[in-house]
Amino acid sequence: MSGSSVHETVLSWSAGHERVIGARADESVLSAAERADLALPFGCRTGACATCTGRVVDGRIEHSRPPRALKDRHLAAGYVLLCIAEPRSDCRIEVGSDVQTELVSNPWK
Amino acid sequence: MSDARGPNETSTDGAQPGGSEGPGYTTPQAAIEESTPEKVAYVMGLYVGTDVDAPDFLGVVDVDPDSDTYTEVIDRVEMPNRGDELHHFGWNACSSSCHTEGLERRHLVIPGQRSSRIHIVDTNDRRNPELTKVIEPEEVFEHDLSAPHTVHCIPDGNILISMLGDRDGDLPGGFLALDEDFEVEGRWEPPGEIEMNYDYWYQPRHDVMVSSEWAAPKTYYPGFDLDDVEAGNYGQRIHVWDWEDRTVEQTLDLGEEGLIPLEVRFLHSPEATHGYVGAALSSNVFHFYDAGDEWRAESVIDVDAREHEGWEMPVPGLVTDLLVSMDDRYLFFSNWLHGDVRMYDISDPSNPRLADRIWAGGHFGDPAPVQNRELAGGPQMLQLSLDGERLYWTTSLFSSWDNQFYPEEAERGSVMLKADVNPRRGTMQLDEEFLVDFGELPTGPARAHEIRWPDGDCTSDVWQ
Ligand code: FES
Repeated sequence: MSGSSVHETVLSWSAGHERVIGARADESVLSAAERADLALPFGCRTGACATCTGRVVDGRIEHSRPPRALKDRHLAAGYVLLCIAEPRSDCRIEVGSDVQTELVSNPWK
Repeated sequence: MSDARGPNETSTDGAQPGGSEGPGYTTPQAAIEESTPEKVAYVMGLYVGTDVDAPDFLGVVDVDPDSDTYTEVIDRVEMPNRGDELHHFGWNACSSSCHTEGLERRHLVIPGQRSSRIHIVDTNDRRNPELTKVIEPEEVFEHDLSAPHTVHCIPDGNILISMLGDRDGDLPGGFLALDEDFEVEGRWEPPGEIEMNYDYWYQPRHDVMVSSEWAAPKTYYPGFDLDDVEAGNYGQRIHVWDWEDRTVEQTLDLGEEGLIPLEVRFLHSPEATHGYVGAALSSNVFHFYDAGDEWRAESVIDVDAREHEGWEMPVPGLVTDLLVSMDDRYLFFSNWLHGDVRMYDISDPSNPRLADRIWAGGHFGDPAPVQNRELAGGPQMLQLSLDGERLYWTTSLFSSWDNQFYPEEAERGSVMLKADVNPRRGTMQLDEEFLVDFGELPTGPARAHEIRWPDGDCTSDVWQ
């Protein structure tokens, strides 16, 4: 890792723990986490399945491809797909499998 | 047959069960008469979408009551990657090839629903199967396909897999063909025949295949959203194919009563031109048949939605799996949200008659624990013994949908349950002695999905 394009990215789990990783501007947050030996949930790695969903609470990310698994309401609420999300600034992101489950609820309840 | 060293014990070393030259049994009746009771079950186990840092696996479950490890997961074949969502799987060969010398029912083809990775597992040693080959997603995407679902062998030794999306997880889906050596051959059908895809079944003697529709992967992967139903993003049609030509001959729109048609089951008799498809969301079972000049489909079972205390809207049963017994006499299906498994007499295929049902888990089943184990889901994937006397099921549907409707399942894991079936009386009884707890695995609680037997089963064997 070198240069100014590495962004400090704080990953925070709902259980309370946090980890800080350096994410390059040309790699996904998921890949950066894997480089740091951190397991985040994922599935398709192409932006279709939302298994890797995180929520940006601070900072800027850009998706390298269209985030097809997210609807407009999700994007507006800060949800991102970490398999195709690249940081553009230092970031703080909620991660872990329960972020994905926030996307949908039981419609009959 | 009660010989303990029947075909269930030996590996397939050339001597095929049923005395035929190729894999499987010569007829469905031979499968019933010549098979011995199942001793191991292959069951999909999943960690995808959870925080458990482990790959999905093929579980080997001991279902032999005389064994010391009865009802235990005795072996797990871990996949090389995380994130697959192993879902449905199938054999490299079935009874459709029973006259093809040299073929063996030996390799399981195990796709990852989310990853689009396809795994080949050699079951020569039934209790210790081995992963022998992996087809990486990129190779699948090259054919503009993703989200592999149903695996059937085709009579010549090749393998066909229904694919639910294009390389981006969008529509259209299609079919991917593998050759005998598990190399990707390419697309099976001319592109553009269908938009949505899900399950399929073929009857070669009638040159027909029927396929069903879930949705685009990007629609169902994240979870179930009523907005998608309103937007028409879920399927309600089935497609009747010319099996030789690989083209769609007829498309049947099932209408509102046929929303999300999932599993397709023809009767097993190769003579039969009757089958069933379960429409999950509208919770209907359709009977489809060849009416001579065209195929028709009619709703023959309707599961009423039920009011749930404290919930806003009536809840559908969600018919997620169904199967036909090997003698074509009974239809079984699961209502995943309600929590019952039903058994219908289908002696008259267009007039199924409710024979019996069992409540186990679900949101209405007043879920009594089995052996003090609380059930966290509802009855889902079913499998029946070849002799029709033992019905087994697991409780997980799909990781994101499980989290939505049975959030406790992620922490508790799935269970596999069993009922004793009396085909003469048309009754079922839950076997309280039988419980396989996927919540108790060393890597953490797992979801359990589809079940297969080494010697063929009621949801994969086809006769030519
Ligand atoms: S892993 Fe599928 S959208 Fe990211």
